[in-house]
Amino acid sequence: MKQYWEELTKGIWKKNPILIIGIGMCPTLAVSTSISNALWMTLAATIVLVCSNILVSMVKSIVPGHIRIPIFITIIAAFVTIVELTLNAFQPAVYQALGIFIPLIVVNCIILGRAEEFANKNGIIFSALDGIGMGLGFGLTLTVLAMIREILGANKLFGLTLIPGMEPSSAMIIAPGAFFTLAFMLCGMNYINSRKKE
Amino acid sequence: MNNIVKPTLVLGLIALVASMALSHIKKITYPNILKQEKEKQERALAMVLPGYAVGDKVTVKVDGGDFSYWPAHKDESGAVKKAYAFITSSTGYSGDVVSMVGVDEAGTILGLSILQQGETPGLGARSVEVASKNTFWQTITGNAKEEGEMSPWFQQQFTGLNGKNKITIIKKGDWDPSIKDELLSRNAITAITGATITSRATIKGVEKGMDSLAKALEAASQAAPAGAQSITGGAR
Repeated sequence: MKQYWEELTKGIWKKNPILIIGIGMCPTLAVSTSISNALWMTLAATIVLVCSNILVSMVKSIVPGHIRIPIFITIIAAFVTIVELTLNAFQPAVYQALGIFIPLIVVNCIILGRAEEFANKNGIIFSALDGIGMGLGFGLTLTVLAMIREILGANKLFGLTLIPGMEPSSAMIIAPGAFFTLAFMLCGMNYINSRKKE
Repeated sequence: MNNIVKPTLVLGLIALVASMALSHIKKITYPNILKQEKEKQERALAMVLPGYAVGDKVTVKVDGGDFSYWPAHKDESGAVKKAYAFITSSTGYSGDVVSMVGVDEAGTILGLSILQQGETPGLGARSVEVASKNTFWQTITGNAKEEGEMSPWFQQQFTGLNGKNKITIIKKGDWDPSIKDELLSRNAITAITGATITSRATIKGVEKGMDSLAKALEAASQAAPAGAQSITGGAR
């Protein structure tokens, strides 16, 4: 039981995909401009991640080692297309807002990374838990990043103005703001972890 | 030999299953996607030609490409006012920004609606953003004001500009009713902060579309003056 819990929670802090493993930076930096974008991105990426983890773990015994990457990509791309079509049909506003970043989930390294690193070596239940945990870690980091950037860069939260009349710092909403904020978050994470070890 | 056959079979099998699953999903979602597109187009037509009776879509060849426009008319104190809506596109930051524009005969823009864009979320994608005037605190404390139907501020500011003249960009931050008069007098829009390319692409689309519309209308009136009449009068 403890092991199940461990596989689920490791993605949130101990093996946080963005802050510790350092993968999936591109969508992180690009989509963290507003909380609603971050939450929808998290949902879409987590669904793809969990589904692809489960399927990769199911087919791992018949997949020949040297062509595993094309097979994983086919599986991931299929799930991404399903998510894309579903969003386009039932959530057109979200589809409009995220635009190109939905098809780009295919190249989100977290998903291929987890397929290769974890689901290819572990059972179905562990892989599903790993997917949920990694998705949570990704989502949490993305949400904190998006919250800081939306507050400072757009003077808004959930698309609603915070302080009327205040001019926000637009540097925070463009790429440099994402790098700065991520750097501070990495710094804070490493500081806490290094204190813990002592 | 086994090194070639087995991987091929496995990859082929997985690709087959994936494509079968996808075609099934596509079949389920396609009617809904079509419906959404159609609704979007109807909403856009109603938005860019407010109060007008819109006729059937006309597609003509202009400069080697297809150009679609909708003739429309409305009765205003006895006189019939004509207007046109057209779809135009221009390259933005990532891919095309496709918009629908409604203009009257004098070239005054009656409305602009962006149908499709793939710009950066939070920057260029704010061209379709609908901004609430309520603040966060008002909303969570339940003091939010009713705002009714809202339209995206970036697109709204095109209304009233003259599409036949050059539309300029000034950087004033987000649109606000207080700067409306200044923008109208200078035939300008205020750019989206950090997304000047998207703002410029939208303007370029308008210019290109106005150009094509003028050519299309000229060709229509030359080819068959009577026919052109029936296009605009046909909806009555």
